[in-house]
Amino acid sequence: MLSLIAREIRDQVVYLVGLCLTAITMLALLILQIYVQMEMVYLPILGMGVALLLIGFCALGMGQMYGDRVNRIAPLLATLAVTRTRILAARVAVGVLAVLATLVPIAIAVTLVLGAFLPPLEFYWRMIVGISITSLLVGMACYCVGLLIGWTTNKTALLLVDGLLLVALLVSVVWIKGFGLDTAGLLLLFIGATLLRTWQTFTSASL
Amino acid sequence: MNDNPIVVENLVKYYEGRCILDGISFTVPRGCIYGLLGRNGCGKTTMIRILLGLEPPTRGRTLVLGQDSMRLSARTHGRIGYVAEGHNLIQSYKVRRLIGLCRGLSLQWNEEFFGHLMTAFRLPPDRQIKDLSAGMRAQLNLALAMAIDPELLILDDPTLGLDTVARRQFLELAIDVIQRQGRTILFSSHILADVERIADRIGVLVAGKLVVDCTLEELKSRIKKLRVIFPDQAPSDLYVTEIVNQRQQGREMVLTVANWNPQKQAILETFRPESCTELPMTLEDIFIECTRPVSAVVPQESEV
Repeated sequence: MLSLIAREIRDQVVYLVGLCLTAITMLALLILQIYVQMEMVYLPILGMGVALLLIGFCALGMGQMYGDRVNRIAPLLATLAVTRTRILAARVAVGVLAVLATLVPIAIAVTLVLGAFLPPLEFYWRMIVGISITSLLVGMACYCVGLLIGWTTNKTALLLVDGLLLVALLVSVVWIKGFGLDTAGLLLLFIGATLLRTWQTFTSASL
Repeated sequence: MNDNPIVVENLVKYYEGRCILDGISFTVPRGCIYGLLGRNGCGKTTMIRILLGLEPPTRGRTLVLGQDSMRLSARTHGRIGYVAEGHNLIQSYKVRRLIGLCRGLSLQWNEEFFGHLMTAFRLPPDRQIKDLSAGMRAQLNLALAMAIDPELLILDDPTLGLDTVARRQFLELAIDVIQRQGRTILFSSHILADVERIADRIGVLVAGKLVVDCTLEELKSRIKKLRVIFPDQAPSDLYVTEIVNQRQQGREMVLTVANWNPQKQAILETFRPESCTELPMTLEDIFIECTRPVSAVVPQESEV
């Protein structure tokens, strides 16, 4: 399993570095905001950064699955001492790592920034935790969408359009419903269904 | 230990509405080198891909090392060496990286044997797979498949793209593997001389059906090619069953018959031929006769 995870990380290094750079830039902006300006002027830029990250998660999933099909990686791996489920599990593990490694530091930084500006009320802290959890789940959902369409869509152009539309749809769901528990539940359901469908198509397909 | 590492039962495969495999049944006993023959597009690769679980069957069942092909565990996969037709290796990887990946994902790795193969094949570890010649890719694929000390080795046209020397090396390696106790090889090829040299059981696929499944000696003894000269014009019908092929020109008739026996001999003698001589047949001759459009099925051992 570790060999498979190491292979995935090495193969997807471009996406992972891209995601990390975006996250680092966002963190730098937040730190700058805390210590230099003490004003909330970077929010639109941070919003753009979040959008970039979500598209990046989707692109990572697409890259893993579409890249596999183009380079015929799974037919080789499936004849070695691994099962298709393990191949997919290694991919998902890398995706989860990428989401956590980029969003958790940002969530911590956002918490610190908001903590500096908001009054010390429990209500605000619960709101911050809700926002952080929902953001992680949106990131994961975008990644899962990338996995599924990367495996099931044949044309590159269609892949990009589908990816962008579905990411926009997920963001608009959060925009409309807010960062509450019901949104988190909905996202969890969506992630479960998408992963199940990806597993089903990946394990039963001709390689 | 399974007595039959490969069991195929009534296998049917349809692809885009076309029947590729039509009710195939056969078994490969332990320690056997099974040569699977057939013309291009007859279903050899599909059969091998189904055995490895890369392709789902439409109907029927295939068992490999005692497990259903579509549910092979990682442990079972680790006991199977596979050389794919066209050598599907990851093109963007360097040789060294691919070796590392295969080593990391294997249950056992015979470093000494692999090192010996790498030296024999002179494979450059720092070159990308896409920059290797077809022959080098074949050698690398073969070395990777052999390095795991497979209990079952499945080779899909492995000598495709190899030069004469490399082909000979490969055959010697295959013999070396079979000599290790309990090793089984399923091997498809277009080079019939190779199959004749190493296979001890033969299967011939024609238009999705397995028309031959027996040992090489049995096949050679059961299929006879006869040149029969008649005093006058050769008769149009001899009333002999299981004629694989028949050509006639004037008084001469060249006849290929499956399961030649005294009864068939007696029927032929009722036409009072002037002479009847048996023509020697190589595996290639038998293959060509069997894969002509109309061909009789050579019954399996149990039916004879």
